[in-house]
Amino acid sequence: MQNQRWGEARPLAAALVFLIVVYAVMLNTVVCIKQVPDTTQVRIDPETNTLVREGIPAIINPFDLAAIAAGVRLKERYGGKCTMLSMGPPMAAEALQKALSFGADRAVLLSDRALVGSDTLATSAALAAAIRTMDGEEKVDVVLCGKQTIDGDTAQVGPGIATRLGFSQITYVGEIESVDAESRVLRARRILEGAEEVVEAPLPALLTVVKEIGEPRYASLPAVIEGLRASVPVWGIGDVGLSVEEVGLAGSPTQVRRVFAPPEREGGDIIAFDEGNPDRAANQLLDRLLADGVLEA
Amino acid sequence: MGERGEKFEVIVVGAGPAGLSAAYLLAKAGVKVAVIERGDFPGSKNVMGGILYRQPTEEILPGFWRDAPLERHIVESQAWVLTEKAAFKAAHRHAAFGEEPYNAFSVQRARFDKWMGQKVREAGALVVPETVVESAIMDGEQVVGVQTGRPDGGLYADVVIAADGVNSLLAQSVGLREEIPADQVALAVKEIIALPREVIADRFQVTGDQGVTIELYADSTWGMVGSAFIYTNRDSLSVGCGALLSQLVERGVEPNDLLERLKAHPMVAPLLAGGETREYLAHLIPEGGLRGMPELSTHGMLVVGDAAMLGNSMHREGSNLAMISAKLAVETVLRAREAGDFSGRALSQYDRLMRESFIYKDLRKYRNMARFFESHPEFFALYPELLNEAAREMLTVDGKPKRRKQREIFWDAMRRRKPWTMARDFFGAWRSIA
Amino acid sequence: MKQLTLEQKLFLNGFRPDEESHLRIIDQEKCRRCELKQCTYVCPVKTYRWENDQITVFFEGCLECGACRIVCQECENLEWSYPRGGFGVNYRTG
Repeated sequence: MQNQRWGEARPLAAALVFLIVVYAVMLNTVVCIKQVPDTTQVRIDPETNTLVREGIPAIINPFDLAAIAAGVRLKERYGGKCTMLSMGPPMAAEALQKALSFGADRAVLLSDRALVGSDTLATSAALAAAIRTMDGEEKVDVVLCGKQTIDGDTAQVGPGIATRLGFSQITYVGEIESVDAESRVLRARRILEGAEEVVEAPLPALLTVVKEIGEPRYASLPAVIEGLRASVPVWGIGDVGLSVEEVGLAGSPTQVRRVFAPPEREGGDIIAFDEGNPDRAANQLLDRLLADGVLEA
Repeated sequence: MGERGEKFEVIVVGAGPAGLSAAYLLAKAGVKVAVIERGDFPGSKNVMGGILYRQPTEEILPGFWRDAPLERHIVESQAWVLTEKAAFKAAHRHAAFGEEPYNAFSVQRARFDKWMGQKVREAGALVVPETVVESAIMDGEQVVGVQTGRPDGGLYADVVIAADGVNSLLAQSVGLREEIPADQVALAVKEIIALPREVIADRFQVTGDQGVTIELYADSTWGMVGSAFIYTNRDSLSVGCGALLSQLVERGVEPNDLLERLKAHPMVAPLLAGGETREYLAHLIPEGGLRGMPELSTHGMLVVGDAAMLGNSMHREGSNLAMISAKLAVETVLRAREAGDFSGRALSQYDRLMRESFIYKDLRKYRNMARFFESHPEFFALYPELLNEAAREMLTVDGKPKRRKQREIFWDAMRRRKPWTMARDFFGAWRSIA
Repeated sequence: MKQLTLEQKLFLNGFRPDEESHLRIIDQEKCRRCELKQCTYVCPVKTYRWENDQITVFFEGCLECGACRIVCQECENLEWSYPRGGFGVNYRTG
């Protein structure tokens, strides 16, 4: 019975698919990713207070993996193109090759000696310039970023890019519910502490995503090989119309003065609590607080 | 299933010393080769005690030691025979070991293999990381490719080289290998213990990039057949121990306890004092010698390195055997390629080359060693004790005449092991290694 | 030097655990009858623990050495494979 009905509906479904394809949104998406040291394995040298990064594997920032997954899914759902963008040393090309294996169409590495030492302001300026360059070739509809990197933890670069590009901005996105072709409005669910929020924003829009949005699919072997063989084009600051003063140390008002491990907490004393006599414990505590100078008599 | 996967001339499974060597030589010879590695990068799953010999490595990568990430060049080798409270030590150092091009180096595989992987890539091979090979793809009797754990995961080749390590599921999947018996493999655990360079220089009496190796026997493995080691790295020590898996099972010993016991030994603890553990590793080591060696080739496949159970515990050799077996495998592949014949018969030339090499001769020499020592636990308990007690007695000045001391040592030994049995023990031991 | 527990040591290693275990006990009943339960002590990281009358597999800290595979081959009660590519232990030193 079911099958029969489906048989009748088949031409209709085909027509529907046709319509969807014709009126597809065709999104041009850019995903910003960063190669970071796996901070779960980074230690801080207690003597020199510097990060011990030797031998620490470089990975794609986990929140950016979520952004990649979202970008690839947008492309699959609405058609269009998905570009991976990263700023970093030449080595970061590895991360982009891997990102390609998850189903992206192309990758661009923004890499220039002048970019070394960029803070979040300069980084977002540089990435915004790169996206603007892409926008000049073909209008960019959606930019996706991880909500933050695990090595900097600032969550500033995504919003910084949006501001510079004049894009709508939705942070902490856990799901992209829909993109309307006609009105060009994107609807997303934000995951906040203790609440969720569904918001709409006109395209072009920049979204920062949280892990709930999902992980990239396990890449197929041909896709992995294709990624490994891809040569990732490298753009310098000249290619995106930036000058030396705008980026790198020169363009960075923030500078890290010191990195240190918080001192180990010393174990405290436990004042024994006597069920029948709480006053005694309270008095002991009071005496101790007075003796240590926490309270004044 | 998707369409049929890409075809290479050779697929190498595993980016360890054997696999990387094979891939490097093949790529250099202009062969279209892919290396499939299950770790994030070559080296990220690889474990070795830590000594790499220069000469065999140079047969693959001439002059490697000038720019490879090495820890220290070894100038001194020590052997300690331990009892619970004592150590009988022997050491050899030679000035020549401190001169270029050196004899051996301490290395950390994760760093070294990553570097070597880069060399392999530069030579033109495709290195595919994060991908597990699950089985061979067969066309009748001929291995024609490998099936990986990824979607559309088939990949094809004229020859597959199994360099997938001691657990070689690949060699097993085509019936070249049977399951490893627990008495033909040792389980080793190791810690990397960080220490400042000055402290290492002080404690091991070395300067600059000089390094020392210590092999520890007997009580270091609680009397089980096996050994322990301490190797100096640049800013750390590699400290580990291993014993036949069969003996660990039999005695109910937890490997981590064995390692902690070693670290706490009164002769070992002072070397490690103030150190900070950085990583904890485990690995199986082939100990079967010739007995454990599987069939080395079949139609379309060759087995190299640990996958072929190549290990010489007597001389702390493994990675060199891996590299040389890879070299012989490549020779075979190149000849087969020229003839356009990848049948089992053509590839059996590898077996022949192996039999003519020192690998086979050495494994043959020690073919009975593991079995002998497993059945003679005295060499890991009683004899080390007698040795250390004798030394102690002779070195203790207590007014006793030396001749009497010698007599006491002699009769004590005779009392604890019958002279005839002892003679047989030592004759047997000598025969098993001679 | 400071003695670390096994748990503390594992904390030093880099792991990327998959969602599903790459090690699977085929039949717990066989384990109940297994006298030695070698896997519970021979594994360098105590992946297998005898709890509530069955073996629990803590695959997340597995060092992928293969010892359990060999000691369990008599019973043929362990489905042993490597973790999926990209998962499992990641050594920094090796």
